[in-house]
Amino acid sequence: MAGDGGHVLDLDQAKYDADEQVKIICLGDSAVGKSKLMERFLMDGYRPQQLSTYALTLYKYATAVDGKAVVVDFWDTAGQERFQSMHPSYYHKAHACVMVFDVQRKITYKNLANWYKELREYRPEIPCIVVANKIDADMKVTQRNFNFAKKQGLPLYYVSAADGTNVVKLFKDAIKLALAYKQNSRDFMDEVMRELENFELDAKEERSSEREAELFLEDSEVA
Amino acid sequence: MSFLAKRCGVKFDPPSIVLVYEESDTKKMRQRIMPVRNFSKFSDCNKAAERLKNNERHRVYLEGVSRKQLERLHVVLRDRLRGRTLEESLAAMEPDPDEDLNKLGDDELARRKARMDELFERNRKRQGDPDFVYDLEVEFHTEDAKEPCSWDEDESDDEV
Repeated sequence: MAGDGGHVLDLDQAKYDADEQVKIICLGDSAVGKSKLMERFLMDGYRPQQLSTYALTLYKYATAVDGKAVVVDFWDTAGQERFQSMHPSYYHKAHACVMVFDVQRKITYKNLANWYKELREYRPEIPCIVVANKIDADMKVTQRNFNFAKKQGLPLYYVSAADGTNVVKLFKDAIKLALAYKQNSRDFMDEVMRELENFELDAKEERSSEREAELFLEDSEVA
Repeated sequence: MSFLAKRCGVKFDPPSIVLVYEESDTKKMRQRIMPVRNFSKFSDCNKAAERLKNNERHRVYLEGVSRKQLERLHVVLRDRLRGRTLEESLAAMEPDPDEDLNKLGDDELARRKARMDELFERNRKRQGDPDFVYDLEVEFHTEDAKEPCSWDEDESDDEV
């Protein structure tokens, strides 16, 4: 599987190693409202980049955190099973994860366990926020404990993409977590990748695309 | 005389909308069959519903029936013309909360999403609305008062 170059996106993912660049992935079942959340955060008029081949929508967002300019790429992914083969590329080099379920559909909550398991196979350490979306449909759900988050030791946010409750807070916090992770990353894979990159850089400056592919191969094999 | 709509449904042959209503004067239940004209598998169900609702002969009977409901009935009729079974089109109509939408193709998924969008649009606060707040923060921290979620019940045995 890892040898199949088709799983590496044509996108330049090496840029996510630069200090001011972070990558945040949005995961969860189809129709839980991932895109609606992105749109609510970035507001009307924002034009994301559609990469339909990869079942992916990229939202670029420039902001400042503690006076430092940061560029965030939000990877809004498709939940449909037929895009399963794209998942390794989604996780690759991600610095934080926003994992969404729909409070009106139990199955989307139950499936969090699958999403989370897969996430941890590729990214054992990145911060992850669990998001209970569509609370506008039934505010009573905010009185309920959703044990999955607690069990995994993850923060749980109650949000509504429709009325905007906690949406901006969610993404701002996700960006902070992504940056904090990046700055103090003890993620084993990240260290291995940095080592490899330095090694490669010493060896040869060019062939950067091959390096990307090899690193990626390492990534998925270890996972 | 006025009419109180009780139930509606469809007939496939010929494609018709059926209304069961009560005559206010006589308290009698009656059934009215309204054939759907100029309707094909390419028709716009929203427009067709509006046309029926404004129809000279039928409008008085349909006052208590929403256009949305008429639209859904037209979708069932159109689905039949497209070769779908009634079960299939009803399943698509009222999304089953336990259905795994990850398994659907694009068309089917778009259909489920369109249904969910109705609620989204109803509850939506837009930029420019008087009560719109971009960064709306609401705390739901009442940890102790929280009820356990029934969705977690089937896992309770593996908890420590």
